[in-house]
Order: sequence, then C-alpha cells, then structure tokens
Amino acid sequence: MRMKILTLVSVVSIAAIAGVSSVTATSPHFYSDDPLLRAPEPQDAGGAAPSYLDLMYELTYNLFALPRHKPSGVRAQNTNTIDEVPDSSWFTNRIGTRALTIDEIVRGPNVGPPPDPSRWVIWRGKTSGSHPGITAKDANGETWFLEFDPPYYPTAATAAAVMGSKIYWALGYNQVESFVTTFDPKRMEIHPEATLPRPNGKRTRITRADIEAVLRHTARRPDGTYRVFAGRMIPGKIIGRFRYEGTRPDDPNDLVPHEHRRELRALHVFGAWTNVTDYKAENTLDTIVTENGHPIVKHYLQDVGSSFGMCNDIHTWDVGWEYFYQGGLTAKRVASFGFALSPWQTVKYTEGPEIGKFEGDRFDPRTWRTHAPNAALMEMRDDDAFWAARRVAAFSDDMIRAIVHTGEFTNPASEKAIADILIKRRDKILRTYLPAVNPIVTPRLENNRLSFDNAAVATDVAKAPEGYRASWFQFDNATSERRPLSETTSATTTIDAPRDLPTAAGSFILVEISADSKEHEAWRRPISTYFRLDLDGWKLVGLERMPDRPAAPDVRRRAAR
Amino acid sequence: MRLSGLPGFCLSIAFVVGAATTALAQSSEPQPETRQSTIENAAGEKAQNLHPYEVTKAEKVITRIERRFTDQTIRWHPYLENAYRGGGFAAGAGYMFHPGDYSTLDVRGSYSIRSYKLAEAEFISPRLFDRRGELEVLGGWRDATQVGFYGVGINTSKSDRANFGFEQPFGSALLTVRPTRRLFMVRGGFEAARWDLKSGQGTAPSVDEVFTPESLPGLGTTTTFLHTQATVGVDSRASSHYARRGGFYGVTGHDYTDRDDALGFRQVDYEVIQHIPILRETWVVSLHGLAKTTWQKGDQATPFYMLPSLGGGSTLRGFSTYRFSDQHSLLLQAEWRIMANRFFDTAVFYDAGKVAARRSDLDLNHLKSDYGFGVRFHAPFATVLRVDVARSNEGTSLVFAASPVF
Repeated sequence: MRMKILTLVSVVSIAAIAGVSSVTATSPHFYSDDPLLRAPEPQDAGGAAPSYLDLMYELTYNLFALPRHKPSGVRAQNTNTIDEVPDSSWFTNRIGTRALTIDEIVRGPNVGPPPDPSRWVIWRGKTSGSHPGITAKDANGETWFLEFDPPYYPTAATAAAVMGSKIYWALGYNQVESFVTTFDPKRMEIHPEATLPRPNGKRTRITRADIEAVLRHTARRPDGTYRVFAGRMIPGKIIGRFRYEGTRPDDPNDLVPHEHRRELRALHVFGAWTNVTDYKAENTLDTIVTENGHPIVKHYLQDVGSSFGMCNDIHTWDVGWEYFYQGGLTAKRVASFGFALSPWQTVKYTEGPEIGKFEGDRFDPRTWRTHAPNAALMEMRDDDAFWAARRVAAFSDDMIRAIVHTGEFTNPASEKAIADILIKRRDKILRTYLPAVNPIVTPRLENNRLSFDNAAVATDVAKAPEGYRASWFQFDNATSERRPLSETTSATTTIDAPRDLPTAAGSFILVEISADSKEHEAWRRPISTYFRLDLDGWKLVGLERMPDRPAAPDVRRRAAR
Repeated sequence: MRLSGLPGFCLSIAFVVGAATTALAQSSEPQPETRQSTIENAAGEKAQNLHPYEVTKAEKVITRIERRFTDQTIRWHPYLENAYRGGGFAAGAGYMFHPGDYSTLDVRGSYSIRSYKLAEAEFISPRLFDRRGELEVLGGWRDATQVGFYGVGINTSKSDRANFGFEQPFGSALLTVRPTRRLFMVRGGFEAARWDLKSGQGTAPSVDEVFTPESLPGLGTTTTFLHTQATVGVDSRASSHYARRGGFYGVTGHDYTDRDDALGFRQVDYEVIQHIPILRETWVVSLHGLAKTTWQKGDQATPFYMLPSLGGGSTLRGFSTYRFSDQHSLLLQAEWRIMANRFFDTAVFYDAGKVAARRSDLDLNHLKSDYGFGVRFHAPFATVLRVDVARSNEGTSLVFAASPVF
C-alpha cells in the first residue's frame, strides 16, 4: 500500500520535472533546452547528514515485505526527453554513448597511481562483509581499503573486485579506484590510534594478534605475503549510504525516487551479466563533494566485489538463482521432501580456485536473482532493460578479455574461462532484452529522409523485419495536439519523409516508427519520435519507446515472485 | 525502506509542482522557459523543507531485535534455560557484562512451570592461547522438583514413573583447546556438586515411596561429587550448534569421586557425529552414535540419578525424559534433513537405543525406537528453534528446543 501511495505521488510530482510528459495544458511538451544531457544539481547539499540503513532491517524488509509490492509500471523518471539518462552525480554516460578505448576501460576509475605496498600502516579493521579486510595507509601516506582472498579461492575475490570496478565504471557508475597489490605482514605497522570495536562495546587498540586473526582466514602466498584488492579512499565527506527506494530528504537535488532512476533499475541487467547479487545500501556510499562551486551529494556503487564466480561461497550454490527466501520455493521443497529441484542444484558450474563458481549455459537474465528483492530492480521495465542491454552490447569481446586480464590471474585458463562466460552471458542478455521491445534507435531526419538503426538486428540477435512503417504527424508543442500528415514505408532503415513537412523554424513533427516482424510482435508497437526544426535542420528532441502505463501482468508476476 | 519520510517528501514535491503549475495556468508568475529552470525550481522548493532521514518504527524494532541477538554488550537479557532436563517451559533473566574485551560474566536465573529453579553465574573467556582455547567457569544452585525415574533397565513401563527431587549447589571449570585451531580438540575440566536428594513432587509417586535405599543406590542421600573429565576429539564441523557437513569423533572419560567413597564411579562416552551433504546440501544425512558405559569403583555403586539414560528431546525423542536408565546406554540417531531455504530446514528422523546392565548387552537387539518429523529455524552457525514431533510405542511427543539434536 505504501508503495502504491509512493508511486502515485512520485509519478505526479516527478513527471513534471523529468521531461517525458507535459507539465500542464499550458506547459510546452518540450522545452527549448530539451533533451538535457546533464541533470542540473543547483542546490547546496552541504547540510546532508550521515545516514546508515540497518542491514538486518533492509534484508528483512526486502525479503518479506517488498515481494508483495507490484511494480508500478511507470517509466523511469530521470530520463531526458529522448529516453536517455543524463549525466548526474549518480551516473556518467560512457560506454554506449561515446567511443571508449580498451585502454580507457582497463584504466577504469583509476586516475591516481597504484598504492606503494612497501609499507602498510593499519588504521582500521573491517567488521562487516563476507571477506576480511582492513583500512591502511601505504608508504605514500595514502589511505586504502584492503580486501583479501579467502584461502579456498585465492585470486578470485580480489580479481572480481577489480574487474567489477572496471565494468561498472564503463557502464557509467561512480566507482572506487582499485588495484591488485601486495600486503606483507613483515612490512606492516599498526597506527597507535587504530582501534577496533570489541564485544564489550569499547574500542581498543588494534593488536598484531587482531591482524593475524584476519590473515588466518585469507589466502597466503608461499612467500608469506598476501594478494590484496586495494580501493582508494573516496574523496569528499562520507555521509552514509544511498537507498534503492525514495530520496534523501536532506539532499535538495535528489528529486527522483531512487526506484524510478533508470540507472538503478538497470542494475538488474548489469547485475545479471556480472553476477553482482548483493545490491544493498551497505554496498553503496554517498559523499559530499564540491562541483561547480557548491557541495553536492555524489553516489557510489562502492562494492561490486561479490560478483562473477565469487557471489557464491565455497559451500553455497544458490546465489544468483533465487532470493535468500522465497515462500513458494520453500513450500515446494518442504512438500516434495526436497525433490522439487531448482536449477542451481544441478547446474554445471565452471569451478576453480581462481574462479569460484560461474556459468553461462543455464543463465537466464530474466530469472536471475539478487540476494533479496530490491525496489529499484523490481521496477525495471522492458525499456529500461533495453537501455541497459545496449550498454552491455557495447562491450566487445576484446574489451571483455582486456577487463578480465586486469584481474591478474595466475592461470591463463581461469582468465579465459571467466571471459568466455561473460561473453556468453552478454549474448544471452542481448538476445533476451534487445528484441523484447521495438528496437529502433538513433533516428535521424536529414535530407527529407528518416534513418535509424535496429539495435537487435545490428547486434545480430534478431532477423531484420519485413519492413518499417513511419506515421507522420504535425505536432503542436504547446497543446500536444497532433495532426496526421501521411504514412511511409520502407524495407530498409531509411524511409522517405513526406513532402509536406512544416518548414517554419521551431516547428515540431511526431513520427511513429514501427517494424513489421512476424517473429517479434513487440516491434509492431511504434516508438514515438519528435523532431524540432532548428536552423541547422531537424533535431531529435523526443523519443518514447514504451508508453507510461502499468506493467504487463507477466512482468508484474515475474518481478514479484 | 524508510518510507515514512519519503511520501512526505513526494507530497511536498507534488504540492510544489501542483502549486507552481496552477500558478502558471493563472499566469500570475512567469512560466519556466527551460527544463533546467523547471528542475532548479523543484530543487529550490525542496531546499526549503530539508530534514534528516527519519528512522521508522519498523526499523527501530528490527534493530532492537537484531541487537538482542548480535550485540554482546547487551546487559539484561531473557534466559529460558531450565534448571534440569524435564522441567518444562522456563523463563528467567540474566545480566551479562564484560570483565575483558571478549570475556563475559553472565549472572542469570530461571523458574519453570514445574517449579524448577536455577541461579548461576558463568564466566567465559573465549580467546585463550592466541584464540586456540576457551575457558568456561560455572557456579550456581539448582532445584529440581520432579525428575522422572522409571526404574533400572530397558523393560520398565511408562506407568512405573516415580519422581524425585534434588537441590544442588555446583561449580565447574571446563577448558577446551584446539591446538591447530581446527579439527583436533582436547577438553578437560572438573566439577564439584552436591546432590541433596529429596522427595519428588508432581502426579507420579515419589521415588522414596516406591524404592528403598537398599534397592536404589543413592536414594535419600546427600552426596558431594568431585567430577573430572577429559575429552579427545576430532571436530570438522563449522559449528556444533548448526552444521550441514563435517563430523565429530570423540571420547570423553569421566571420574566421579564421592567424598564418602559410597557412590563413586567412572564413565566413558564414545560419540560419533557425521553430516553427509547430498546434491549441494539439498539434503543432509546426519548420523549420530553415542555409547555411555560406566565402571564401579570397588564396592561403590553408581547412584540411580547419574546412570546413563535415554529419553527426551535430544535422545529418544518419542519417549519421556530419562525414560530408560542403566549402567550402560547406546543411542543411534539418523536424520534426513531437507534444506528448504537458508534459514529453515525440515527433517525426518529415526532414533533407536537401549540401556543395559552389562556392557556386552550394548548390541542392536531389542532397541527402543521412535520416528518423527521436525522443523528447524537456524542461522548459519546456530539453531534458533527446533520443533520435533516424535512417535514411539508409548505415544507422541512434541519437542521444542533452541539447540540441535546433535
């Protein structure tokens, strides 16, 4: 119920801001600056206070309350008028928007030099998370968070964390600068003011025994050193976590409920690809940084290390296949004495000490699951998934292999296996999501011809349709009224425009483009594209791939299960 | 998550936008000319009404419950352990504090529906010898009012039940050491306890109405025992409180010395536990074997209330607590556990066992048995609640416990 109220109110309030529909009868459908390429964050957010969401509460809510919520079906609310996500403190358009080189992707979020591991001064121990870690300063005095490999998966955890940071950076998320480096206990010091919380509630000095206890549960090299993942301390003042639902009430620039942010909804696709299953507030960070002269809140996906083959521990197999708790599955197992098997119980994983458990053969992006339901991921619509899949499609095989290489595996076979699986999972994502909606993209109106691309055909996951159809309308930007002009067709992705298009500068036209495909019913549903005649020609100012309506029943059921 | 603040915020935004657009319609204010200014206006309006996150009631409640289970600094806590097995539901409280960073001292007490009473203090130091050892020191007093006794031997009848009571001041120390921190473990300890036997209460006759001190060693006595014990074992389980794989193989020797040289005896326990996961822990076959055998010291006798016994929620679950007693006992248990999800298992089980006067009679003939079905709520390394329904030829029993059966 609360979610319904939330959704209704959100839709009313945010639609006006987001730019995908008209504000009122007196507001123009498109403003002169549409489409926005960067979301303005004009207000001073320096007063935002630290806030942490209790882990157990979030898990309980997500496992037991959230599954009853039916996704609203509303469009993502932070897209611009051409259905893209503008740059913001959450997201920066990178792959799929501009050409990234392999060097850029391999460098990822790293702008500074790697740590100098010739000396580590321990500052803080890690008290949460599945893998042991510590915070330490390197020989240059720079602060790093160090995470170790478990003894049974040497290399795998640290490699996953580094690879994940590269991929998520390329996808557009704020990421921690990350490196694989070395920790030598012989070159370790403990800062005299470094403390650990003890069971008695006091913080007392970290001792060498405390560090040895951490190291006892990690993979040690034969020479006595440890391979570690080093994440550079995030700049700015840390003010806690972001949540996958609602907005920060203390951040004036945070206007769109997070479950309606497309880049957060899309984590369902990106997570499925990379097997990042642990989307929770605790794996995020909000910091206050100064940009354009005033403080704003910047949002990080801080921990994408439970990924690839590392989301399952040595004696778990179900992560990625089902939530920690699903009532229906529990009932089935109890009633069948366990004989109602789930896929994870029989799937053939590629397993290895440097890999963990990873596979791509039985992987299904739609049935893939995180640890627990997540409001933003549940709200994902097919147009969000399409947007995400196009970004996944932009990763070439060479890029993927280069990213996996940054994991610095000792066994080339492990590196190849992970890259092969990632490629396989990428292809399944493309086959699943690109043809699921009308896949027409990048419409251009030049020289009285409308051109566009078909994302599903271009990535070779669908056959070209029999033809394309364009319905042309004159569009009144003030009233949103449309007046039919004509309809044109073509067997290719170029269609002639009618001769009687408006010629006055500032005129708008609407072109509804569909594809005649026997295989893909969804392609018959036209996308709406809007062009404005500027001095230098027709400019795309609007694109609506799917109407703003309740999600189809099967989508609701799928997401709510 | 924290929804309470969110609808408020959204309503305010809706109000702001609604008010703004109404105003625009009335042309009383200039219409925003750009998308940028529209968003800037909304952000400006929100900036007038900023406030920190508000923690919801649900979050507060769950956080409090979580702290109860995980925060070891909690001082007052509920305590539901009984003074002695068979006392029925017990309720009580404890006060725990930390003499050191990791050590705890817990002073606690409970009272049960059968008037069993317990007051004790327990000191635990869990990180001795560079986290290889754990010391438990326990001292207190208990009063059990109606402990069941059905006679000695396997052929007793359920209708033979008699009750006895006892009061007992006790003190013990137990040191467990895992020299390699895994697998191999040794444990040693001593205990001093005075058993002050008294007549039993409840609906069954008191044991002193049915037996005489001549026919039942220990009846009507007050005896102070000095108990020493030593265990050698191999333990490959992740936790003794919940495990899906691994096992425990151990032998424990006990020496009970009566200061009056009348009721002293020795006992050796042989225990085997093995959990066998099947198909990625879809199922776990868990097996348990426990043999207890006693030796008399010279002409001393083993007191009836310390004889190896079977029956109750962790041995023969389909029988009453302490249903069978004799000089030696053998218990065999098998469970087929079905992992329903990460927090919940079900199990089908079969228990069998016998008691015997002679060690050579501890064979597989004429075993008492039961079977049943159970459910268990658990954390990764601890059983939170176990409910078993067990059926035997003496009826059906319902077991509630906060520990694994083995």
